[in-house]
Amino acid sequence: MSATIAWKQFQAKKEAYLAYARPWEKKIASFLTYRPEASPVTTATGPLAGLPFGVKDNIAVDGFPLTCGSKMLADLISPYDATVVARIKAAGAFVIGKTNLDEFGMGSSTDNSALGKTHNPWDVTRVAGGSSGGSAAAVAAGLVPFSLGTDTGGSVRQPASFCGVYGFKPTYGILSRYGLTAYASSLETPGILSSDLELVKTIFEVAQGRDVHDQTSLDAETLASRPVKTIAVLADLADLDPGVKAVYEHTLNVLKDLGFVLVPVSLPTLDYAVPAYYTIATAEASANLARFNGIRYGHRPVYAENPEHLVRQSRTDGFGDEVKTRIMVGTYVLRSGFQDQYYTKAQKVRTLIGNDLQKVFDQADLLLSPTFPVPAFVHGDKTMNEFQQKLADKFTVTANLAGVPALSFPAGLSGGLPVGMQFTAPAFGEARLFEAAAAFATRVPVAACPGTSLDWSK
Amino acid sequence: MDIGELETTAALAQIDLGEGDLARLGEAVSQMLAYFEKMNALDTTGLEPTTHALVKDNRVRPDIVAPSDLADALVDQAPEREDRFFVIPNVL
Repeated sequence: MSATIAWKQFQAKKEAYLAYARPWEKKIASFLTYRPEASPVTTATGPLAGLPFGVKDNIAVDGFPLTCGSKMLADLISPYDATVVARIKAAGAFVIGKTNLDEFGMGSSTDNSALGKTHNPWDVTRVAGGSSGGSAAAVAAGLVPFSLGTDTGGSVRQPASFCGVYGFKPTYGILSRYGLTAYASSLETPGILSSDLELVKTIFEVAQGRDVHDQTSLDAETLASRPVKTIAVLADLADLDPGVKAVYEHTLNVLKDLGFVLVPVSLPTLDYAVPAYYTIATAEASANLARFNGIRYGHRPVYAENPEHLVRQSRTDGFGDEVKTRIMVGTYVLRSGFQDQYYTKAQKVRTLIGNDLQKVFDQADLLLSPTFPVPAFVHGDKTMNEFQQKLADKFTVTANLAGVPALSFPAGLSGGLPVGMQFTAPAFGEARLFEAAAAFATRVPVAACPGTSLDWSK
Repeated sequence: MDIGELETTAALAQIDLGEGDLARLGEAVSQMLAYFEKMNALDTTGLEPTTHALVKDNRVRPDIVAPSDLADALVDQAPEREDRFFVIPNVL
């Protein structure tokens, strides 16, 4: 918890913080709105008292912009707090900025933001991952002790892997979605990024639980308490980058050394998770993003001949290519005559994937896999185009389809870049994720990004 | 996907596609749809579709009026308004 103690001096040592943080932020551009001059509420009490934090710019924070990384919402200011933000504030923390993201959370690099380009603090020629790339980069560079992201198909875990921090996606529903800009409602959840696992647990505790504003929100339940003993590992892992493979194999050895029993399993439906995921995500996106029409808020053309033209022109100017692509794919799969072929089929595949995962958890307490098949790639990498990035989501989307919790943890370096591994647990099995990751960190501590410091207070 | 299908879909999505967009986005859309065909290799006969991650019981709450002071702040975000009305171009 030493990192947390240093952060509690944020206000007292503001000048030292700014001298440290400003050059870093200039290098990586993790924030779309950055207000480090913001002050904590001095009377705040609670487990997070005095801690600054960053919030992905698709989550509402009162008085801050809520751009979603889109021209569509570039001028929108939120008049209210998302429930998770309100609960974290009530525990004493305060927001100092809104972090960059792929437009509406659609992407794996943050390069799909229409409002800025974020760089990986480990190597600024590379992406920070996405879609919560700004949140991951800000934490890795030591600009905030923690940040919030959203995870629809891996958008918290993949950038956490790319930036060498923890990225936590809870069981669907335990963190309220009220105040989160909807993309794919049945899949997405707020998530937490930090280099401090204890802090992730504390934030999860204060932010969780049912919310009158979100009908799908749930109270956490406790799984029958038992120490984690068995960890399922996938018998055949194809298409891994050699560096990621090496870190994966090292992780297996460390876990064996720690006394965990590794259980080889197969997930026969894994290869179908990505097509099912993108069918469902784009279908839900096409419905959720229909609300952006330039009438009540958001981008609107200077002139329109009639209301229909106003709506079309607002959307045509306001959305970027990836968002338009996904809206059109989603519109197509929901079109009359195609629904059974795509959307209903994907929902049935989703059932199969849930059943498959259940079989794994009948045999083991947790499932281990790499978070992403490659480490952070360079901006504009032709071998990692939009389509290739989607294929690479295969390890992360499973948890969203099944609604179960997962944690990407820093597992080592490959060629000077961080590589994350992922634990997935059954629904409400968050404690298992934290327990196993904490055990792993006793052998492989989280590597600090070169040039970063938590000692700016001195 | 042929151009006609793409144009119909774009119209339903209320997005205008210029010539360049049709080619560029059309390719991306077709690539994803072709990839979705992969799911057909799986036998899903007799399976119920999963519509939500974790289905719990239906949620109800007491029908009690709760105050909210957000309405004015939200209306203030309108690109163009008169008093509390949103202004749009003439319908006719």
